[in-house]
Amino acid sequence: MTNPFREDLVSRSRPEACTVVIFGATGDLTHRKLVPAIYNLAVDGELPPGVKILGFARRDKSDEEFRSGLEELNRKVSRSGHDEALWATFQENIHYHQSEFADADGYKRLSDRLDEIDRERGGKGNRLFYIASAPEFFDDILEHLKAAGLNESKDGCWSRVIVEKPFGTDLATAQHLNEVVNRTFQEKDTYRIDHYLGKETAQNLMVLRFANAIFEPLWNSRYISHIQITCAENLGMEGGRGGYYDKSGALRDMVQNHLLQLLSLVAMEPPTDLSADGVRDEKVKVIRSLRQWDTPEKVAENVVRAQYQAGHVDGKPVPGYREEDRVDPESMTEAYVAVRLMIDTWRWSGVPFYIRMGKQLPKKATEISIHFKDAPCVLFNALPGAEPGANVLVIRIQPDEGISLRMVSKIPGTSLRLEPVKMDFHYATSFGKGSPEAYERLLLDAMAGDATLFARRDEVEEAWRFIDHIENAWHQSKNPPSMAEYVAGSWGPKEADELLQKDGHTWRRL
Amino acid sequence: MTTLSVHPELGAEVPIGSIDKELHKLWEQDDARTNASLMNLAIYSEEPGSLEKNSQAIRELTAEHACRALLIGIDRKAPEASIRAWITAHCHLSHGKKSICCEQLSFALTGKATGRLRNTVFAHLASDLPLIFWWQGELSPIFENRLYSLVDRFVFDSSSWVNPDESFGRIADAINDATRELVVQDLSWTRCFQFRVSVAALFDDPLVLDSLPEIDAVRIEYNPANRVTALQMLAWLATQAKWNDGVELELDVSRKNGGKEGFSFESEAGKAISVELVAKDASAPLGLVQLSGGDMTVSVSRDAGATHLLRRIDSNGHIIEALGPTDVDEPAELIGEQLARGGKNSLFRKILPRFQDLLKK
Repeated sequence: MTNPFREDLVSRSRPEACTVVIFGATGDLTHRKLVPAIYNLAVDGELPPGVKILGFARRDKSDEEFRSGLEELNRKVSRSGHDEALWATFQENIHYHQSEFADADGYKRLSDRLDEIDRERGGKGNRLFYIASAPEFFDDILEHLKAAGLNESKDGCWSRVIVEKPFGTDLATAQHLNEVVNRTFQEKDTYRIDHYLGKETAQNLMVLRFANAIFEPLWNSRYISHIQITCAENLGMEGGRGGYYDKSGALRDMVQNHLLQLLSLVAMEPPTDLSADGVRDEKVKVIRSLRQWDTPEKVAENVVRAQYQAGHVDGKPVPGYREEDRVDPESMTEAYVAVRLMIDTWRWSGVPFYIRMGKQLPKKATEISIHFKDAPCVLFNALPGAEPGANVLVIRIQPDEGISLRMVSKIPGTSLRLEPVKMDFHYATSFGKGSPEAYERLLLDAMAGDATLFARRDEVEEAWRFIDHIENAWHQSKNPPSMAEYVAGSWGPKEADELLQKDGHTWRRL
Repeated sequence: MTTLSVHPELGAEVPIGSIDKELHKLWEQDDARTNASLMNLAIYSEEPGSLEKNSQAIRELTAEHACRALLIGIDRKAPEASIRAWITAHCHLSHGKKSICCEQLSFALTGKATGRLRNTVFAHLASDLPLIFWWQGELSPIFENRLYSLVDRFVFDSSSWVNPDESFGRIADAINDATRELVVQDLSWTRCFQFRVSVAALFDDPLVLDSLPEIDAVRIEYNPANRVTALQMLAWLATQAKWNDGVELELDVSRKNGGKEGFSFESEAGKAISVELVAKDASAPLGLVQLSGGDMTVSVSRDAGATHLLRRIDSNGHIIEALGPTDVDEPAELIGEQLARGGKNSLFRKILPRFQDLLKK
């Protein structure tokens, strides 16, 4: 029987009440993102009644201590502020479970605790396991969940798992992780979270492309010259991030997941429907169609890696990458990467895609720019002055989410002079109401069983297949491509500029 | 001839024939401002002093809903025919930097000039953007086909109507009569949105959903000023749950005394369902919606002045409680909620016939 009161009420998948078990519950992600996201869903009335949170971690804590720590952070970071009355009710549904990740008895006790929670709420219950721990514990957690029988759907209820990135560190580890996950949970119950996909503009990409008749006819190699995806960060290794980052690097930390996901949304064919697999089938085809840079020579020709040298960002002096806290002074990990990609499909034949991601750049910004080909200037090519430039459609992911279109216009006056003008759409000024945080949307989708905005196994593995060639060329070949340098606070190394100049392009100025 | 003046709330008075020219001047004064519009929002009122009051409402609304606002003040009974107009802009800082502004055009029409409403006012809509028309107060003779056929969304607040049965009849006729699809939105219906969301959320629970066929009693408590909202809530429950009309219960009570009224329904399986509507002076607009049957009682309640709704499931002694957001109460806030949601409001049209039946009872 379906819920008749849901009909025609809200056009989204229906989240179901469940107990959310968070592994790594004492960590930053739980305190800053996950619990505030669930709290905000409660504030907005989106959270189904009966949702419980059970934190699982190694430290010894009481429910009260756990709640108190969460409350302290929620006051600081909650998007909708902190309401004492609402929190008082909300926190009654938060509990803590102490156990080592590898302690079988801890999972037996977890199972008993979940049964007790289910009994309190009148019987059976759904379970959503959120693995937010360090990646080295993924195997233990999944194996023990299986051993305790917590992976199984019982009595018509479901059991799902959300896995935080990194989904492995290369193809082999990703395949291993996926095998462990799929030995424990079915693929349909596995949700690999990529919070970039929960961002409003990322979701709007499909709407922009497929709900507006003016774009899709132009969305191909006939009209598009090239596409750039930029993720710039104006931070370095603050807060002890160097330890993790130096083992990972820009390519594995950002490109393999977030930026290739954005690329697939920009480049995919229209899906047959909006079902999770309908969309993901098309996304994975894009990743599969990436031309492989499978020799050191191809990598040297199409990929630039770099580290920043000491410089100034936002007017403050910052150290070079190798001088950062917890970074190896002889590190060969890239803090900047620029990649030229080719997608070998009918639609994108001959159109280069350029992705760049870097630390300690002048500002924080993530955006996609679609650069159209020049209009035939037969009418205007005799005019004095520089060429007015091609149309550029920019999709800003963060901050200041929005869309802009650069067009050519006549400068008012008696003479015929052309200049580019920008039509700009800002979410913040057109829709005054703030967007929900990415984690809010994604958690709700997982409770509703909608995996559209989560990465599927084949997407993850295909992305690693592409990335591994580059990593191997950098770290395992006899003749590795060199590590470039750039001054912190600049827009990256000159080698990255040359990467585009070879094709007659330049990076968009942000 | 009337002297043009500056009104503290409505801005500079401008000649009717120069409105566009004066708007251009307004923008040329300061290039740090950005003009933003997602819609035309017209507010119509025949109440004296409404222009100033509505200008204040627009000031709040434009913080979240960029629009070109058209305020219309009508005095049909004035002996002299006149049309006056004022222009101003409401500006809000975006990210603490650039000022984002929305234009406001105010029109005062009196006497026979009220017949020029359509030609005068609607000549100043921002092109290609939808027209949201908020009608305040009772429907007057000006509400007729040539007006509502221009409108994309017609908004009203039936809680202020003296004879809602007759007025809803006119609304239903307008929906059938309009030359283009007319989306209607009653703020009384918006007032129970969060109640409806909460009831739906309670029935998301499989155990609660299983008990739906067992429901045999419904109790709705409301403030006497919001009977329409209570009836719309009931019409929604009955329509969605596919309850048929039952035999009228003989409840020895009278609505006039602020007491109770009763309705009866039959579920699809033939189970009798008795409904009690209880007016309480101290209640929030909607104070309680409770459904019970078998071992299950589910309820959504709101104390007057409370900042949250309480959702409650009592299943054979097992109790689950959660808080949810409340509905806003003020008309301007309700409009804001409605604009944020958009849509064609097909659910309201779906329950409208059932609601009209209940009104007649």
